[in-house]
Amino acid sequence: MTPTRIAALALSILLAAAAAPAQEPYPTRPITIVAPFPPGGVADLTARPVAAALEKVLKNPVGVVNKTGAAGAVGMQFVATSRADGYTLLLALSSISIIPEADKLFGRPPAFTVDQFAPIALISADPTVLVVPADKPWKTAREFIEEARRRPGQISFSSSGVYGTLHMAMELLSSAAGITLRHVPYGGAGPALTAILGGHVDALASGPAVVLPHIKSGKLRVLAGWGDKRVAALSEVPTFKELGYGEAEFYIWAGLFAPKGTPEPVLAKLRDATRAAVGETEFRTAMDKLETPIVFKQGEEFRLFFEADARRLAEGVRKVGRVDTK
Amino acid sequence: MAETLHNLALGFGVALSPPVLLYAFVGCVVGTLVGVLPGVGPLAGISLLLPATFGLDATKAIVMLAGIYYGAMYGGSTTSILMRIPGEAASVMTCIDGYAMARKGRAGAALAIAAVGSYVAGTVSVIALMLLAPPLASFALRFGPPEYFALLALGLLVLAYMSSGSMLKALAMAALGLLLGMIGIDQMTGYFRFSYGIVELGDGIGVVPVAVGLFGLAEILATAGQPTPPEVAKPKLRELLPSRQEWRDSAWPIGRGTVLGFLIGIVPGSAHIISSFVSYAVERKLAKHPEEFGHGAVAGVAGPESANNSATSGAFVPMLALGVPSGPIPAVMLAAMMVHGVSPGPLLITQQPELFWGFIASMYVGNVVLLVLNLPLVGVFVNLLRVPYPILYPSILVFCILGVYAVNSSVVDVWIMLAMGGLGYVLRKLDFETAPIVLGVILAPMLEMALRQSLAMSDGRYAIFFARPISATLLVGGLALVLLSLRPLLTRTLDWRAKLALAEKGEDHP
Amino acid sequence: MLTTDRVAGGALALLALYTLWESRRLPLGSLRHPGPAYMPVVLALALLVFGVLLVLAGRRAPALAGVGFPEWRHAVAIFAACAFAALALERLGYRVSVALVLAFLLGVVERKGLVFVVTFSLALSLASFLLFDTLLRVPLPRGPFGL
Repeated sequence: MTPTRIAALALSILLAAAAAPAQEPYPTRPITIVAPFPPGGVADLTARPVAAALEKVLKNPVGVVNKTGAAGAVGMQFVATSRADGYTLLLALSSISIIPEADKLFGRPPAFTVDQFAPIALISADPTVLVVPADKPWKTAREFIEEARRRPGQISFSSSGVYGTLHMAMELLSSAAGITLRHVPYGGAGPALTAILGGHVDALASGPAVVLPHIKSGKLRVLAGWGDKRVAALSEVPTFKELGYGEAEFYIWAGLFAPKGTPEPVLAKLRDATRAAVGETEFRTAMDKLETPIVFKQGEEFRLFFEADARRLAEGVRKVGRVDTK
Repeated sequence: MAETLHNLALGFGVALSPPVLLYAFVGCVVGTLVGVLPGVGPLAGISLLLPATFGLDATKAIVMLAGIYYGAMYGGSTTSILMRIPGEAASVMTCIDGYAMARKGRAGAALAIAAVGSYVAGTVSVIALMLLAPPLASFALRFGPPEYFALLALGLLVLAYMSSGSMLKALAMAALGLLLGMIGIDQMTGYFRFSYGIVELGDGIGVVPVAVGLFGLAEILATAGQPTPPEVAKPKLRELLPSRQEWRDSAWPIGRGTVLGFLIGIVPGSAHIISSFVSYAVERKLAKHPEEFGHGAVAGVAGPESANNSATSGAFVPMLALGVPSGPIPAVMLAAMMVHGVSPGPLLITQQPELFWGFIASMYVGNVVLLVLNLPLVGVFVNLLRVPYPILYPSILVFCILGVYAVNSSVVDVWIMLAMGGLGYVLRKLDFETAPIVLGVILAPMLEMALRQSLAMSDGRYAIFFARPISATLLVGGLALVLLSLRPLLTRTLDWRAKLALAEKGEDHP
Repeated sequence: MLTTDRVAGGALALLALYTLWESRRLPLGSLRHPGPAYMPVVLALALLVFGVLLVLAGRRAPALAGVGFPEWRHAVAIFAACAFAALALERLGYRVSVALVLAFLLGVVERKGLVFVVTFSLALSLASFLLFDTLLRVPLPRGPFGL
């Protein structure tokens, strides 16, 4: 080939590459779902069946990459700054609205902000439940709250980390019931559970699935739930809403997001695909095994849910304030 | 007992059925591959490969994951011995004497001892796991933050015995490591510390890039350009196996490492990583010739390798008996069980005996498979040393980068490895040991967290450490150790002062 | 006289001072309720003490001038290759970056033959990608054009 022909060829390739996004049918190459938490966690365990089901619906490879670090901030920041072409998606948990608020609290430049994301759909939402060791005297949530009023700052609870989901659930309860509890943060939900089973703390807010076996075996007692409905597997357990603490509403939820600026046709396609994916039997069995209830919301409905949740959490974070200023 | 045997028979029935055995074998091979990759240890190995098991049924998946886990444990020692690159954090101690043995032409012996030690530790600890799990598990749960703090404080004391050089230099390196371990989000208050706006530093600097950088990369930087490439004695075939004397020297360390590792392993949290450090220190303290450590002491390979294998099965005690995710590896295994519809918990043993006992039995089987797999591989691996270094080191470098990157899909980790490689290279030139830095990086966040959690529990009262029997015992034991080790130091200091006084007198009156 | 211990001790002491300075922005807390700066400050003070002790006691250590860096060219080249890999990994993709690093080290630094360098670099980068990414499903970065 002569140099001019090489140049012409190169030019045409470049032009083709530049022109591609405008008319490119979506999707034509593998899609990546970023799970900002390590394998085996809720985000990862939700992302994988979602990816598998989406792959089937879109007839296009969908992979999961775990970009972990800084309580999820690394992965979320990664997606927030990715190209908004629909090929990099985020499977986020409730903490997506906590992290920017905590950044604000400490006056540091936020790793990302909530409005850098375009919500696609809510996949699951699991209300937390309040458990205490079975050898504690409190049989009901009211007794627990009364005791906490009598001895402010004496009843301790473990959490997945400061400003973590399990911490925020407890803080929402504290402010709704006007009580003060003693916070002992742990490095994750697993260690927090171990701590209460070992009797080192008095209470824990936890997702129902992980504590269910310990409730059945009689090691833990469940007092109430944070949902607006009772948990199916624990139908005799009241919600805080029923008990009159309406602001104590909290879910560990998982939702799919795209970077802001993703073209509307792509978003629409993703929404439809996600709806179809969530209907797949394989997806349903996978989530069943994890005992995670599928709660599907999209469009306006998801936006409202997301905004209400973000508002509650932001308030919660502000109420907790900086830990050292107490 | 009879019931246990009956159940075990049931388990072996499951584990030895051809399809399950095949998955165990595949798991072991894959695990060995992943384990040989620098940086990617059992935890990262299982996490990364977890999705690959989603299509299998529960028993096969769990058995395969157990195989991956054991395989990675075995594989981790290979690169440590051959190239001084820790396959995982727990193999750091193996790097020191294992690599020294390899330089003396005893690579085969070191690999064989590591494999046999791991086999013994793996098997014995599974027996202990099977028989003692329920009583030990409730004991393990009594380890709250104060107990954990006491245990880790004991771990710090280990430093004093770890270095073969000056204690002051070891302490300085440990302080440096502990300080590096402070980088990242403060888990108690949410402050970012020393992270300079780099979000990836939020979780602190990982042990993997630090260990691979300080050991592996530093080694490459220091040796690649030497005018005469490192003279590795090429082993002859009959020298592949350890000598009778080497077997004798490794018997007790393997035994002690196994017991020690198991006991440290059952404690919830990440304490299992320190088991190999503790074992190394114990062996050095007990050795007749402690000066051999650092220069190819057999016990320095046998002890830590057994300890780290035994510790990670110890970590399964609370998980299997109580369904408590007591450490990172059990947590991933628990997640794997949940994915496969097995609800982990105290009822697992009665509700799904074939899965539970199949898992136990497959651990036995996996250990045998790995021994059979690894002993012949010793010959293959040792031959890697015949590859000329100018070709070998670029390849090792690539695997270091790959391994460090793969753990978190993070380029920042590669940068950390690079920085640590530079640091390790300089420190090596200045004749400082780097193992205490690694121990410091591991210990710092755990120690600080345990201290502050304890104080949060007690509302700031230090009495909590002495009011609880386990932590009080540990702390008193540690104090006794300090006093014992300070005695010679004090006497020596007095000697020095006395000498100085004498010298001054001498100057005054010439 | 400058000895290895003295240089190292001095550097550690400087690092300790720097850490103390950087910790000023974090709340110290109290003995009963240690804040985020508490441990770093304690550790930096310990490091400072050790560093100063090293400087004081480092008289008998080997002289710095005696430490040779005969391999510095190689060390710098390897270091640079690694830095390049870190920069390129997520931009050019795993296969391209690794092949380039290998080609540089084998061809430029070690001066192996062209055919060998090209074959070996391509083979190792492709084979390791195939083994870990494709077969073992450890996700490795891809560059432009899916490479």
